[in-house]
Amino acid sequence: MMALTGARPRRFSGRLNPPAAAWVVLLLFCVFALAVPRFASAGNLENLLRVGSILGIAACGQTIVLILGGIEFSFGASAALASVVTVLALPSAGVAGGFAAGAASVLLVGLVNGTLVARFSLPPFLVTLGMLMVAGGGAAVLAGGLPIDAPPSDAFSWPARGRVAGIPVPILAAAASFALLHLLLAHTRAGRLWYLVGANGTAARLSGITVWRSVLAGYLLAGAFCALAAVILTSRVASGQPGLAPNLPFETIAACAVGGIPLAGGQGRAVQTLCGVLVIAMLNNAVVLLNLPVAYQQLMIAAVILGAVILQRAPLLLLLLPVRPARQLEEDRS
Amino acid sequence: MSARFLRRSADGLRIAGSVLPVPFRVAPLCLILAVAVFAATAPRFLSLGNAANIGAQVWVLALLAIGQMFVLATRGFDISVGAVAALSSVCAAMACNAWGLPGLAAGALAGLLCGLVNGALVGTLGLQPVVATLGSLIAVRGLSLLITGDGQVVPLDAAGAVTRLGFEPMPVLPAASWAALVLAVGAALLVGRSLAGRRILMAGSNPEAVALVGVDTRRVQLWAYGLCGLFAGLAGVLMTVRAGSGLPTEGAGMELQAIAAAVIGGTALSGGIASVAAVVTGAAFIQVLLTGLNLQGVSPFVAQIAIGVVIIASGLLETLLRSLPSFPSQSRTRT
Repeated sequence: MMALTGARPRRFSGRLNPPAAAWVVLLLFCVFALAVPRFASAGNLENLLRVGSILGIAACGQTIVLILGGIEFSFGASAALASVVTVLALPSAGVAGGFAAGAASVLLVGLVNGTLVARFSLPPFLVTLGMLMVAGGGAAVLAGGLPIDAPPSDAFSWPARGRVAGIPVPILAAAASFALLHLLLAHTRAGRLWYLVGANGTAARLSGITVWRSVLAGYLLAGAFCALAAVILTSRVASGQPGLAPNLPFETIAACAVGGIPLAGGQGRAVQTLCGVLVIAMLNNAVVLLNLPVAYQQLMIAAVILGAVILQRAPLLLLLLPVRPARQLEEDRS
Repeated sequence: MSARFLRRSADGLRIAGSVLPVPFRVAPLCLILAVAVFAATAPRFLSLGNAANIGAQVWVLALLAIGQMFVLATRGFDISVGAVAALSSVCAAMACNAWGLPGLAAGALAGLLCGLVNGALVGTLGLQPVVATLGSLIAVRGLSLLITGDGQVVPLDAAGAVTRLGFEPMPVLPAASWAALVLAVGAALLVGRSLAGRRILMAGSNPEAVALVGVDTRRVQLWAYGLCGLFAGLAGVLMTVRAGSGLPTEGAGMELQAIAAAVIGGTALSGGIASVAAVVTGAAFIQVLLTGLNLQGVSPFVAQIAIGVVIIASGLLETLLRSLPSFPSQSRTRT
């Protein structure tokens, strides 16, 4: 029941209801702005958003899968596969064709994941781990184990470095992705079905919903978000790399969890994912600016991820912040 | 009364007796099939040397998989085991340099500590297992880099004496393999015969019911993750013994193989079913697959694809077996 009330779609007219993670974003921003030199400059913030947009777009896909009660580990490997396929297809298919081929390979991975989860009822974690190895191994076989360079061209670098009306393309793409995700989740039938299927698949089936179609659509759409992220990533690194972005699935899961989306399914909003992505992006940016040794970078990232998640689990600690626990908000609304 | 009930209901989960429960048949079948195929196609596969080689190599993966099994059985998940093994390997090497051979135990201790931290995050604080162990994966990697000065291998002063433990056959197996075998038997006894093991399986198969009969599921989770960390630490010690040095960056990717071995070994991802013997067989299958493909001159990337396919196929097989009419009664209750 809790799950269903939490999943109730918002209306635009309703009062703005920031997730608890928004306070974490604000706090972290203030701390970094004060403590990290050059953090709050316009150039750095643009760079931060540009780098974070790839994580954000992929996290949109992860959000759908998590709402469905699943989990997606194959994002990084399929992005690597896409980059290799793109670069291999460049000479014969041209820039647009190459990107299309790369995106198609990600969609194919998403289709396999969705089919195995939806039609054969396999555990999502098992399927996507298996596909992680298949796609990662496939990328390495295709590339012969080594990165392959792409011939540099303006068209090829446009998805990562181009600008439309002065705004970098990746940031626009991420904004569009989050807008699309919000519309899907809050204002469409498909989105509402995802919440129902994720909260209680049996109840969804008994009330006459074709559950497998909803799940398959979710995984395919997650693949589409990942494909967009992969195109931008490939364009940015300008090469086909079989070892590209091994941490992408974990970072997207961490972003969703930091945003407060439970991994049990049935709950989650686009704005929560956005907050989580901002936290991770600011963190990654700050550790680079601080120029810490890798060991300290990793310890700091781990501390903030765990700290942000623990803060949301332990309401007593939240008393330190001017925000009410999530459960109280639920009661206010009902 | 309740203790009697527990004992009887858990009997069906044990693989002792004449009937081997269906999910535990997958790993032996896969192993026999793989050995048969490679014996027929790879020329040097069926030699005594190769068998001894696989027999000694398999234990790092087997220990990781046994640890993972405890966590999977509680419906949990630990992606930090590879990093924990690497940290434990470094700790074992450093302690061994300082205090001699008994110092190797420091590796196991480090693993146990990491596991208990995971357990506290998941059990006591109620974090999602993926997020908690992801956090500790990153932190533990950072720690390994920190104490080794950016990931340099820690050479053992007594490398000769230590590697002799790992390679020189005592009676039949090297001392390290005997030790791992004893640990596996200990884990099997823990799962099949002890109250703690029973609680771990119960907490996975029905947490609400277990809480209702007065078991603190959070504490069960704490110790399941602790055991997982302990076995990851022991795997790290084994890595140090075999390599003759502490390996701070080793073990990346091992967590996936360990999960694969545990799943092929019939550990139900919905929790509640586990067998150490089947998990070790699953680890042996993966090792045979890797070694066999290697002997055939196949690229390691293709082997990676093969393992991915095997993971998914093992899931499909389990679904297939579950749909057989006899399966539910055999797995959940005594027939």
